[in-house]
Amino acid sequence: MNQLLRLENLKVYVENREILGGVNLEVNSGEFHVLMGQNGSGKSTLALTIMGHPRYRADGVMEYKGEDLKSLSVDERARRGIFLAFQHPAEIEGVRIIDYARLVLEKVRAVPREKSYDMVVEKGMEVNLGEEELKRYINVGFSGGERKRIELLLALLLEPDLVILDEPDSGVDVDSLSLISKKLHEMQKSGKSVLLITHYGRILQHVESSEVKVHVMRKGKIVLSGHRDLVRKIEEQGFDSLFKECGCNE
Amino acid sequence: MSELTMQDAKSIIEDQIETLKKRNKEPEWVTELRYKGLKAFMEAPHSDPVLNDPLDFIVQDEQIPEIHDLDELPEDMKKLLDSLGIAEVEKKYVAGIAVQSDTSMVLNDFMKAWREKGLIMISMEEAVREFPAVKEKFMKMFNPYESKLAAYHTAVWNGGVFLHVKSGLKVPVPMHLFFIIQNSAMAQAPHIIIDAEPGSYIHLIEGCTSPVLVRHSLHLDMTEAYIGDGAKVMLSVLQNWPEYVHTRPMTRAIVGKNAEFINTTVGLGTGRSNIANPRYFVDSNGYAEMNGILLGKKDFYVDIGGEIELVGEGARGINTSKSVLMDESKVITRGLIRAKAPKTKGHISCDALILNPKAKMETYPGLISEVDDAELSHEAAIGKIREEELFYLMSRGLKEEEATQLIVKGFVDPLLKDIPAEFVIEIRKIIEMSLGGM
Repeated sequence: MNQLLRLENLKVYVENREILGGVNLEVNSGEFHVLMGQNGSGKSTLALTIMGHPRYRADGVMEYKGEDLKSLSVDERARRGIFLAFQHPAEIEGVRIIDYARLVLEKVRAVPREKSYDMVVEKGMEVNLGEEELKRYINVGFSGGERKRIELLLALLLEPDLVILDEPDSGVDVDSLSLISKKLHEMQKSGKSVLLITHYGRILQHVESSEVKVHVMRKGKIVLSGHRDLVRKIEEQGFDSLFKECGCNE
Repeated sequence: MSELTMQDAKSIIEDQIETLKKRNKEPEWVTELRYKGLKAFMEAPHSDPVLNDPLDFIVQDEQIPEIHDLDELPEDMKKLLDSLGIAEVEKKYVAGIAVQSDTSMVLNDFMKAWREKGLIMISMEEAVREFPAVKEKFMKMFNPYESKLAAYHTAVWNGGVFLHVKSGLKVPVPMHLFFIIQNSAMAQAPHIIIDAEPGSYIHLIEGCTSPVLVRHSLHLDMTEAYIGDGAKVMLSVLQNWPEYVHTRPMTRAIVGKNAEFINTTVGLGTGRSNIANPRYFVDSNGYAEMNGILLGKKDFYVDIGGEIELVGEGARGINTSKSVLMDESKVITRGLIRAKAPKTKGHISCDALILNPKAKMETYPGLISEVDDAELSHEAAIGKIREEELFYLMSRGLKEEEATQLIVKGFVDPLLKDIPAEFVIEIRKIIEMSLGGM
């Protein structure tokens, strides 16, 4: 199995204040990882740090396919095959989804311009985004579910090796949820590595559970790792009692 | 400072008037008006933040080779045209609609067919000769004593177009008029009259997005728009001047009852300086939009005013500008809306994207209400590109430059809704090229 992502004692700082205190995580190709944890435990920070957000300064080991990620800019990381579906994607006035998607296809995947339009429209249909919606400005005036589906569309078009999804199920209606879950399963089947940040097990309804690895974050560290049954346990008894049980509270 | 004296200037302008009179076989009233302009030039006040000395813009004979068509352009300019893909679009328009080169207009079959329906689009020189009615519209919205520049234009105007749309006539395709080649030894001072009779509709695209070959450093155009009751006129002005050109566009419009005037200026290359102060007067339930997109590059200096007077009950006016500032450019916007009648509405909005800390943006919105039930408002937002937007776009693999171009093109996009697609493509390419060398 090929190692894709390796984090070892990864610490993250914002203006010299430590916000992640030594994260260890390995993601091999084809694996499906779920990252859970209470609000503020550092899940989104970890996702944004892996993607290269300039606000976060990383220290420790952060490698992707054996290469040090810290020295790569955000676009270089994307070109190496890392994709982040944002929890709160930016609204960009004046830039149409279709134009953005086509430019990315052209610049990153070298898709000829005459082919990219149909490609985007075709994939758009898979995530219930019609041509009219694709001609609107990125995330401007879209509902929560639509925004998550726009993120998913870009993931499908770019075909990354490592897909990080930050709460693709928050603020989403039931139909979108089911669709996103199915797409996660497709990614899993096609051999992509997934790192999914979520609060709820429902998003895993279509995912093959035997291969799911679950991690729980607390105060900037991964304190517990396990399998699918860990998700159920969290949903049944909550984080606090789980942390007591495992002695994860300092 | 100019080495000329006012007396020298007077005799140069006199010569120019006599040349124009002979060349154009003008009716007497036109020549009289020119001399009135000359007199005003000697007496009118001059204040300009860039052209300190009015004598600097008096054009003397310059030896620049004449150019008749696109093929004769200098090599580097041709290359630029080709790289922008502009030549093709413009060739299409050259073949398709109407082009003005110097003072003769090329009328093709399309124009001839529309002429019979009541659309007149002819050169201003021909208009003053052939249509006595033009006298009633010519220089009625300006007073040459307003400024030396207005006076100078009155004296030596040359080129320009007279556009007349018959009552109720709706012209479905945009008319494109551009000033690309000027052979004359005069300053470029076209005079444009738009006369839209009640209930008519027309969209005029004025100017040119390609690098214009001008011989002189001053472009001094004047536009007078008469928009009859219930008529709708769209005027899109595209400017892409070489940086050594000073431009002083002057525009006035009377917008009739229930009429609409949508004016969008896209200034991609506005030259070293661009001082404009259009004024619109809007009658009952009329509507005027004054939109500006300004791309500040190098050491460009753009000072763009804009005054909308709401003179009839229920009149509305909107003044919107979006500026992108690079390098060491400076942009100043001074929108003013004056409510003089009841139930009028006005809004000024000014957005600017600053891409270089050395660039400077100033905005001075002005709202004046002379009645107690007008609704006037303004908003302004000046800032840099938001980090979150840049990060979002780059996180899918776009380089910083590509993401920035996308954001800048997006920033101006909402104001390009009325511009034909071919031009929007050109405008986007010019923005990309401008940002390319950041």
